[in-house]
Amino acid sequence: MGEQPVDRDTASEIQEFMFREALALDERRFRDWLAMLTDDIRYEAPLRVIREGLAVWDLSPTSRIFDDDRQTLEVRIQRLETDFAWAEQPPSQTRHFVTNVLADPGDNPDEYEVRSNCLIYRSRGTSPTPSLYSLSRKDVVRRTEDGWRLARRWAAFDQALINAHNLSILI
Amino acid sequence: MNTKPESQSLAAWVEETREGIDSGRFPVRAFNDQAVYDLEQERLFSKTWCFLAHESEIPHPGDYVTRYIGNNNLIVARDEHGEIHANLNMCRHRGNVMCKAEMGNASHFRCSYHGWTYKNSGELVGVPYMKEGYEGRLKRKDWGLVGVRVDSYEGLVFGCLDPEAPPLDEYLGGFQFYLDLYLKHGLGGVEVHGPPDHWIADTDWKICTENFAGDGYHTPVAHQWGFHLGYFPSSGSTHSQGWAVSIPGKGHGIGLGHGPNFPPFGGFPDDLVAEMKQSLSPEQVEVFSRTRTAVGSVFPNLSFLMQPFSLEPGEIGVRFVTMRLYHPVGPGRMEMYSWCLVPKNASQEYKKEAYRAYTLAFGQAGTFEQDDFENWTKVTQAAGMTMVRDVDFPYIMGMDSAPDPEFPGPGHAVVPYVNDTNFRNLWSRWADYLAGEV
Repeated sequence: MGEQPVDRDTASEIQEFMFREALALDERRFRDWLAMLTDDIRYEAPLRVIREGLAVWDLSPTSRIFDDDRQTLEVRIQRLETDFAWAEQPPSQTRHFVTNVLADPGDNPDEYEVRSNCLIYRSRGTSPTPSLYSLSRKDVVRRTEDGWRLARRWAAFDQALINAHNLSILI
Repeated sequence: MNTKPESQSLAAWVEETREGIDSGRFPVRAFNDQAVYDLEQERLFSKTWCFLAHESEIPHPGDYVTRYIGNNNLIVARDEHGEIHANLNMCRHRGNVMCKAEMGNASHFRCSYHGWTYKNSGELVGVPYMKEGYEGRLKRKDWGLVGVRVDSYEGLVFGCLDPEAPPLDEYLGGFQFYLDLYLKHGLGGVEVHGPPDHWIADTDWKICTENFAGDGYHTPVAHQWGFHLGYFPSSGSTHSQGWAVSIPGKGHGIGLGHGPNFPPFGGFPDDLVAEMKQSLSPEQVEVFSRTRTAVGSVFPNLSFLMQPFSLEPGEIGVRFVTMRLYHPVGPGRMEMYSWCLVPKNASQEYKKEAYRAYTLAFGQAGTFEQDDFENWTKVTQAAGMTMVRDVDFPYIMGMDSAPDPEFPGPGHAVVPYVNDTNFRNLWSRWADYLAGEV
């Protein structure tokens, strides 16, 4: 360890891509965000379960909070574009704080596995109490002819019992 | 203005509420009030059969989950002989919690304070310094974990704190006919797809129970996006078609929404439909084959929803089933448990598809779920306002609906699907418990 497995320029480009992707979500530019995804995107958030320390798993192998692909993410965005997405009327204010970005070579030559921490601040309406979501992410980004694209988002919530009435935002 | 509840005794308020339900009025206050919440803990959750777990969550000896009845935390475990027990999650010695995990597998539970050890059935087997300290005065058989009555129907495990309450079968009172719609999917029945989603919301558990007891009325508005984009196989104009069925005097209710030209058992794979025709009675087949959406509540806080959902606008898509438990954690506050049930005998591919449809529609990030909770938290907020303490809601839809004499199932079946009959039955039962009449 200590040696940087991905060259500095690439690592820096990946980090900037991660920040711009988060910015698109926070600025509610959902079509721009969709354009940052590959066609074969997998978008998953496994469910966390509180178990004893020696248990085989604490992230459910079968249960998901998000279990999306390109088609279902399009459905989510189309929904937000209607006048009837009541959960986001008026919209939540979100801020994605993406830190500890570490890029490693992925399984394919143009792909990188990117680990990051993500803290999402979400406030709704005039409520003085925000929801806070802390997540660890293991994403895959791909270098394409058109620039960087997100090929996989895998994000695990650090809380098992989520303290929010719904999850009408993207992670 | 009516009489002010704060100047009235709670008992008088409950009595007035009971009378109001018969004439189609229900007080807003019931949905967010400390005194009502306390009375529910005392008189309702201590007497009803409450859902604990689906058997497929704890398939093997030693498997356990921790769940609640009212504010009581319970360990629901399958013992070494395969029998399921529910015991209070509290050491009999000094009250420490026995099990801090939500699920796991253990043959024994050992208290981390003084080391008392119990079998997963609740029997006390180990007491450190038994001879030296207790000098033969402690009988292990007297100090097992505090147990709760357990009974089950088609894989649904219920518990009851009241040893005098009638058995589960009588409690369900014929609603089993409708539960089969969610549980007898093929000859193998159903299983959970995995652990439940759970999240916490400033919403009163009763709003959810009511909604799922058959609120077809909210769908074309609250979930308009699904109709608008064609992801939902009915339209606003035909959405009222179908039956609302309640079990009088029991509180359970179900809405069976129909769709014109909807194919029989549409959205289920063919081989499963063939099996369902064997697992269900002819009366059930007659009622359920036409059902597009089935949304039902087992009194007090367990609900089910089955509907087809399609990612291709205009197509029927795939059926998914969700089971949900509304665990009250305070006035106007609840913890939601939401499962996806899948047919045990279906192909992995169908199970996966059904689960994805569930996640997209009704998991905590589900596109239908999101809007429900947005509405329900606002209703709860409103119910906490001082000005609405004397205000009632109208529950007068279908006040004069006569039961459909042709309907082949048990209970009180009325048309249209958009109807308050189920809700009057639900609140009337709730009020009976609060009045101490059950």
